[in-house]
Amino acid sequence: MNSRIILTRLGQYLLLSALAVLCVFPFWWTLVTAISTEGNIFAFPPTFWPQAPSLDNFIEVFSAIPMWLFYRNSLIITLSTVFWKLLICSLAAYPLARMKFTGSKLVFGVIIATMVLPSEVNFLTNFITLTRLGLVNTYTGVILPNVVNAVSILLLKQAFEEVPQDLIDAARVDGASEWIIFWKVLLPLITPWLATVGILSAVEAWNEYIWPSIVLSKPESFPLSAGVLYLRGTFGSSTRVVAAGTILTIVPVLIAFLFTQRFFMRGMDGAVK
Amino acid sequence: MKRVQPWLFLLPALLLLALFSLWPVGFGSFLAFTDFSLVRPTHWVGLDNFRYIFANDMFLTGIKNSLLFLLIVPFIQVGAITLAVLVNNQLHGIRFFRAAYYVPVVTTVSVVGIMWGFLFHEQGTLNYLLLKIHAVNSPVGWLSDDAIAIFAIMFVTAWRGLGWYMVMYLAGLQSIPSEMQEAARLDGASRTQVFWKITVPMLYPTIMVCTIMSVLAALKAYQEVDVLTQGGPMNSTFTALYYAYDQGLKHLKLPRGLAASLVVSLFCIAIALLCLRFLKPKHR
Amino acid sequence: MNIAQLSLIQKLNGLMLLACLVLAGASCAAQKVERVEFWTLSMKPKFTPYFQDVVRRFRVLHPDIEVEWVDFPWDILQLKLITAIASGTPPALVNLNVPWAEEYARDGLIVPVEGMIQNRAMYTKVALDDLTFNNHLYGFPHYSNVNVIAYNTSIFKAAGLTEAPRSMDEELAFARQIYARTGKAGYAPTLGKIDSFFMQQGLPIVKNGRAVFNSPEHVALVKKLADTYQAGGFLKDRLFSEDGFPAVIDAYKGGRLGMMVSAPTALRRIQIDAKEIYAVTKVAAAPLGPTQIADGGWMFLYAVPKGVDPRLYPALASFAQFLTNDANQLAFSKIAGVMPTATQALADPYFMLTPVNGGAVEMAQPIAAASMKYSHSVYVAGLEDYDEMRRVLVKAVEAGMTGKADIKTALDEAAATWNKKLQVPK
Repeated sequence: MNSRIILTRLGQYLLLSALAVLCVFPFWWTLVTAISTEGNIFAFPPTFWPQAPSLDNFIEVFSAIPMWLFYRNSLIITLSTVFWKLLICSLAAYPLARMKFTGSKLVFGVIIATMVLPSEVNFLTNFITLTRLGLVNTYTGVILPNVVNAVSILLLKQAFEEVPQDLIDAARVDGASEWIIFWKVLLPLITPWLATVGILSAVEAWNEYIWPSIVLSKPESFPLSAGVLYLRGTFGSSTRVVAAGTILTIVPVLIAFLFTQRFFMRGMDGAVK
Repeated sequence: MKRVQPWLFLLPALLLLALFSLWPVGFGSFLAFTDFSLVRPTHWVGLDNFRYIFANDMFLTGIKNSLLFLLIVPFIQVGAITLAVLVNNQLHGIRFFRAAYYVPVVTTVSVVGIMWGFLFHEQGTLNYLLLKIHAVNSPVGWLSDDAIAIFAIMFVTAWRGLGWYMVMYLAGLQSIPSEMQEAARLDGASRTQVFWKITVPMLYPTIMVCTIMSVLAALKAYQEVDVLTQGGPMNSTFTALYYAYDQGLKHLKLPRGLAASLVVSLFCIAIALLCLRFLKPKHR
Repeated sequence: MNIAQLSLIQKLNGLMLLACLVLAGASCAAQKVERVEFWTLSMKPKFTPYFQDVVRRFRVLHPDIEVEWVDFPWDILQLKLITAIASGTPPALVNLNVPWAEEYARDGLIVPVEGMIQNRAMYTKVALDDLTFNNHLYGFPHYSNVNVIAYNTSIFKAAGLTEAPRSMDEELAFARQIYARTGKAGYAPTLGKIDSFFMQQGLPIVKNGRAVFNSPEHVALVKKLADTYQAGGFLKDRLFSEDGFPAVIDAYKGGRLGMMVSAPTALRRIQIDAKEIYAVTKVAAAPLGPTQIADGGWMFLYAVPKGVDPRLYPALASFAQFLTNDANQLAFSKIAGVMPTATQALADPYFMLTPVNGGAVEMAQPIAAASMKYSHSVYVAGLEDYDEMRRVLVKAVEAGMTGKADIKTALDEAAATWNKKLQVPK
């Protein structure tokens, strides 16, 4: 009996590991490149093990560009974006999910429409809009267009729809207003979804570099995603240092992901009473 | 107050949407019918830009390829559900596996391009392995053969998307009350039966949302083309939106890029409507 | 207070306000400091001290002009420039390369500067020619480059070769030999810019408004390329890409390529990233074609965007010419390993001598300097949608070289497409 469990476990871990290797190797190769100080990066087949490992390249990144400044900027932008996004999108999702009112279908349609329309070229118009509003070179200007996102509204709407009606009815019977129901009852219930939308938005905001670099005039206010581009100078850029910069950009998000799993992996208990 | 309340909730979102999503798209669509350039006066040119792009080889290939991209949707969705189910437990260290599957999503796209460029190279790791196990006789031009390259790119796009949808399905799985599954098991149902009869139907809303998003993402794919092949070999890996991006932002032919974007939008709307029709849930 | 007194107070207030404004305006005019903002392409962090020093020295000479230096990575610069012009806040000077400058000049995004240059003789004739579009000069030349051949002596030895090739035919022959004896690629021409390749060999692309690249001479040249390709002499990575260079330098660094034709700056990257390859690398002059044009000219310049206040022109011209004068260009070339476009700088002894223990980087300097007077940025100017048209040509050449189509047929078809386009009235 015991051996069967061990075997199944082993099989599970093997499968998980195989898949993990498939997903992780580019990151691994970048890490190896960043840690190595010798050897030929571009040899074929590529070497997957560090040679003469040291932290030199990472130290070089910190001395070449103002990393702490960039980290700070990225943190400000990412946290603000996630906060406002969760707030405004859940506010918008609630009536669409649980209130009947004229025009709800229309509003929903409009929101879906923005999801469907490619927005790659929007930055130019949005930049001019920001100029009119006097928001150029501000973090507000960077954050504002990203706050509302059709996908987030859609997911949160669906999250709200899954809450059992009886809970809401019970609260209404108790005399709670819509606002209280929203804050005290519903939001806590959809925590896994809030966490999901939160982490997905955080990753997007952290990695985005085009829009922030357009809005912000001074490179000192750039987030990390734009700041690391300076490592690839026209002359004498070292591939290893660029790799180190990339690792330093990716790792914080992964760590954040590891720690927020608690929020969207509630135990197998299901709905909280 | 009751009548106004929904609108109060919706107000901030709608304002921002109107300002930063609807307005640029509307204005951009208008510009697609002009000869807009940053410094010269703009004139209305009607359908000229559209005539140009539809006569253009690269755009037409792009449309064909964007439609081809739809093939990866079922793969990504099934793959993501599988991953989600695999990691939806409390196995020791499972947290790290979840993070591992998420890494492709977090890796910056340029690194993805460099690495897969290596792997798919004619003298790259993949060919090396295939030759070693005698699966092929000579190196395969994954990115240099114009018949195969687009599929290689589709594979990379799928690879990047798996983790993203896995996270969504995980959240979906979390919302399923486990009492139902436990009760069914107690009644003697096998794991597979529980999965198909209970888990999947309850996951349906998530599946629907994810499928639509995946479909739209497939039609709008362009970043992987940018970092891997820039449209080659022999212009075979253009996607419709890559053409728009290339024309509009790299060569500053904004009206044409906008016209191509508009065409892609119309495709997206049509296909999204089709999806909604077919996938409408029959519950509640 | 009664109404009359009220209005008197108001009048007095108004007068005072006016007086203040006049005084303020006058004082502003008196100590008017002009602000010149200039953008560079990916110069930080390596050249931060250099540019800061240039700005500092300029300010000493011209205290009434304030110079602000902003640097952007090349991924971002073009987008920022467009948005800045669109919103009416362009910088006074922007660092561009020649093809970008040509396209912007055509689209009216930068303005002619011939009225602003005080001493044309300071720059080389070829540099000024390269920046003259439609009979107007569009920029202040800065640094450029010229190709040299870097070759891996180990691979050469294994292939039985001792010296660098001295003509294109030799380049192709050597490439074939390298592959035959070592199994490695020998040469990686930039076929994504097949138009420059043709032109350097003296074969025009367009003549009298018609595409002429399907002539027998062109077909013969492509046939030569096809033969070398089929014989395995060429590096296949990104061979036909618009920007295949990263793949080429990676292959050379990895020891998979025998010869690399590039600007001397690339050698520095090899020095950093692949020491063993660098140790066996030697440098020779890249063969000039029958046109005596040295390929690889890739000049960088400073242009003036549209929308800059014309009253700022004297100040920005003053700075631009200071930035690109002989002394400053020489200093920059020394630290960047590039070539100046200022005549006196080129004549400096620095470029004439090779230190005894020099590696490839030092070897390249005099070789490149000698070639600079032939250096042109080679490309076809003045064609609408040029990049797309070139893609058509590249695709045809690719088909012909890889054997997917008959060379003459493929070129004929491409020429037909070009001619259709060229006949479209503007």
